[in-house]
Amino acid sequence: MINGTDKILVCCGTSCIANGALDVADALEKELAERGLSGDVSVSVTRTGCSGECEQGPIVRLMPRDLMYYRVGARDAKAIVDSIDGTPVKKLLYRHDGQFFEHMSDNPFYALQHKVVLKDVGVIDPLSLDDYRARGGYEGLKRALTMTPDEIISEVEKSGLRGKGGAGFPTGRKWRSAAGYDEWPKYIVCNGDEGDPGAFMDGSTMEGCPHAVIEGMIIGALAIGAEEGILYIRDEYALARDHIQHAIDDAYEAGILGDSVMGTSHKLHLSIVRGGGAFVCGESTALMASIAGRVGEPRAKYIRSVQRGLFDKPTVLNNVETLASIPAIFRLGGDEYAKLGTGKSKGTKVFAMVGKVKHTGLVEVPMGTTLRTLIYDIGGGIMDDRPFKAIQTGGPSGGCIPESLLDLPVDFDALTEYGAMMGSGGMIVMDDRSCMVEVARYYVDFLCEESCGKCTPCREGLRQMRAILTDICEGRGREGDIELLERIGRTMQDASLCALGRTAPNPVLTTIRFFRDEYEAHISRKECPAGVCPDLTRFAIDAQACTGCGMCSRVCPADAIAGELKAAHAIDPDKCIACGSCREACRFDAVETTRRMPA
Amino acid sequence: MNDANHASKIARIIEAYPADRRFALAAMQDMQHEFNYIPAEGLSALAAYLGCTTAHLYSMATFYKALSLNPKGEHIIKICNGTACHLRGSVNLATEIKRVLGIEPGQTSADGEFSVEYVNCLGSCALAPVMVVDGMYYNKLKVDQISGIIDRYKQEDAARKDAKDGGDDD
Amino acid sequence: MSNTLTITIDGRPCTCEPGEYLYDVAERNGIHIPALCRSDAFEDHRACCRVCLVEVEERGRRKVVTSCVYPVERECAVYTNSEKIIEERAVTLALLAKRAPSSDVIADMAREAGAAAGGAAGFDRLVTLDDEKCILCGLCVQACDSLGTGAISTVNRGVDKKVSTPYDEPSEDCIGCLSCANVCPTGAIEYTQDATSRTIWNRTFELAFCERCGAPMGTKAAVSRAAQQTGIEEPHVCDACRKKELADEMMRTYRYV
Repeated sequence: MINGTDKILVCCGTSCIANGALDVADALEKELAERGLSGDVSVSVTRTGCSGECEQGPIVRLMPRDLMYYRVGARDAKAIVDSIDGTPVKKLLYRHDGQFFEHMSDNPFYALQHKVVLKDVGVIDPLSLDDYRARGGYEGLKRALTMTPDEIISEVEKSGLRGKGGAGFPTGRKWRSAAGYDEWPKYIVCNGDEGDPGAFMDGSTMEGCPHAVIEGMIIGALAIGAEEGILYIRDEYALARDHIQHAIDDAYEAGILGDSVMGTSHKLHLSIVRGGGAFVCGESTALMASIAGRVGEPRAKYIRSVQRGLFDKPTVLNNVETLASIPAIFRLGGDEYAKLGTGKSKGTKVFAMVGKVKHTGLVEVPMGTTLRTLIYDIGGGIMDDRPFKAIQTGGPSGGCIPESLLDLPVDFDALTEYGAMMGSGGMIVMDDRSCMVEVARYYVDFLCEESCGKCTPCREGLRQMRAILTDICEGRGREGDIELLERIGRTMQDASLCALGRTAPNPVLTTIRFFRDEYEAHISRKECPAGVCPDLTRFAIDAQACTGCGMCSRVCPADAIAGELKAAHAIDPDKCIACGSCREACRFDAVETTRRMPA
Repeated sequence: MNDANHASKIARIIEAYPADRRFALAAMQDMQHEFNYIPAEGLSALAAYLGCTTAHLYSMATFYKALSLNPKGEHIIKICNGTACHLRGSVNLATEIKRVLGIEPGQTSADGEFSVEYVNCLGSCALAPVMVVDGMYYNKLKVDQISGIIDRYKQEDAARKDAKDGGDDD
Repeated sequence: MSNTLTITIDGRPCTCEPGEYLYDVAERNGIHIPALCRSDAFEDHRACCRVCLVEVEERGRRKVVTSCVYPVERECAVYTNSEKIIEERAVTLALLAKRAPSSDVIADMAREAGAAAGGAAGFDRLVTLDDEKCILCGLCVQACDSLGTGAISTVNRGVDKKVSTPYDEPSEDCIGCLSCANVCPTGAIEYTQDATSRTIWNRTFELAFCERCGAPMGTKAAVSRAAQQTGIEEPHVCDACRKKELADEMMRTYRYV
């Protein structure tokens, strides 16, 4: 029976919106209004932040029944409203091995997660302060307001929280050193300039629960004695920026921000600075230069920014996820938070798992969860059940990890031993059709553009690495190239000015370390084993396996494939541009790759 | 747009901020938003207002990817080249666009209709590869869909132009 | 002073004040560390050429630091020519030599560093830029800014970074003072000068001449800017003649004393 307690949650994260979620929400509201369910006995529609499984979006969830629907379209509105007190819409349910599952927890993608930072993301309306408060929002701040700065910092130290932007610096220690400087004003800055290609954790957090970030910032400001805070948010994240601004406005109106924080004598003013579009601004000193209205070039950090940061004043810079972890620490207690995770990495970590994995999306798990659990249990394994080849973690600063290391726990320290890093949380899964040399070149290419260009090893090292890797991919690799890449890479690691340059060679060095044979195949045999590098790869159709479905010729952008329907097709090698579209499209594994050049 | 109108728009954007260097980026972003690029006169007006030189702002304008000193096309095609999109073939999308429009990422077509650019991750990795035209997302895009999409924009423009020309005749 | 520190550099004891930059301590003690982006003319150093790297052993840990901006805060042992530093300096200078193949200064430094690292043969394969002398040390921009001129800046980022005037056009702010060209370690900033004018950064400036001896005093723009900044009247005679004038006046005055 519909009694006014029903809610329809429509995921309106960036990906679901791109898939038409706003139309779905509108259609549901229209349907409810037509049935008179928008008056006294109403069913409300909540447009939430990212619910996680982006690939299956738009996602709609009926509460309190906990019916979870996937791949919903506006046309499904009627059936969904019918199901509020009727039978579930079968075709929209999670399906596995021919069975249908109704609840969120029936889907292993969600069942194995542990949400702390994302607790409210995908559940509440991010534009509603009341929604946030109804689920314990700002309770942590209330508690912090009864504590001294020293007690606040001790609580964070107890939690074991470390910076989740990638570096893993203990948050409590950072706050304590900033609090120790007797120089004013002090600043608290939120780094929302998530620049890793293939990562969207922080964007989704800001979109889905902006108040958690703000609450974390207020508590941090109390700890160090800052009265001004700035959120530096990536230019491309329009939705995140809107939601944060909305939340700031609401917090001012509710007396949470402003000249009196919740009726106390503490002051805090927050504002947003739009990022300029530069990956290097994820580096703390570059970010602060950018806020100050300068080019985002890092400086040497022998004097730390906790002492001399923004406008040369003591500054705490924390990333979005770190700050969004703070409210839970104060609500639950630092000890409680520290029960999650591993020895030196406490709590949870949010990952954006993408690439060639079945269930892509936003995932939060306790620190120490293994890569295998992430990829196979939560992610459902590799797309089309192809063989796994590597997982790239940590973005352009991270490395590529092979199958043999999949049982490593993911925390701040374990991956570092292998030249990779957990990083900010981007995870890209690659199958046997990903060329590791090409992947290395992709990251180097990215960094050639994104390096600020200030220091020699980073700027010139990347330039040379790009030239060598391009040569290797295009069949001009030479003996000694691998060793030269390693030599340049090692110097970059030591001699570069900032963390971007020092970690820039990681994608190259880890692929050499774990996939050296693939480099050697490119160089000495002029062969791309993955069949990716166009100059080294020739595509052909196996006439035995081809069913003549015509799929390949439809997707070929070069009109290079011909054949009668239901008869084997063939590729015209003169027209073929070796893009691989046919191989991706073929459902019968009939497209083969062979070597193009003589060895 | 006439010059006076242009200048007053620039002045309005600049004067919305206090004369403090820390608002340089924001003011330039507003200009970018308004004009689709930062006009030279906007750069020098802002420098005069903030008390720095044009070179300081020029340095920023060429550093930050969100800013551009050249006018962009009427339609902006963004090809996401985040890692997920790259692995799922974003480069092929660019190759196909080059075949159809004759321009590479970073270029604007001679008729000023289209600009193509590679952008870093748009945060829709699950839907890779992604292309965005004027804010409209095209997800899990296949190479063979591109010419159809571009044709649609061309047709809409032509239709609008016809309607306008027809209107002028009345 | 009581809180003076003693550190060792390449085994030699050196005293210094806490907070002093390592590079300065070494220089004062006659230990030369190669560097390119550092100039005594400025207090702040950009620390971007990365040639002045050294290894520091502090509290049992060894790390690579940038000597030009590394403040010495406690006792430590410094190595300016450890195996690691020799190798990394060789690679860094090789990278610079490939970037600026037209610079003899860099070529010499790279050759020397390469020889110390056991030969530079492996670097032959690296790509070079055409006709380039600039190593992007940024000293020119720093000089221009420190004089309050601000006519040039870095342009672009990443591998496409360069130094130029806005839009690569003659700059209204430039005064043709040559500070940029004079501070450049590789002679990368070109200018021409004839009897009456000087051309730099695509702009031609009229020269100012001493009314007394006729010697050039720099560009007119630079002379008047300097006068403006110091709040004095624009000079019509050169420094040498002004000094001579003063001396003559003194002579006249004191002759009667």
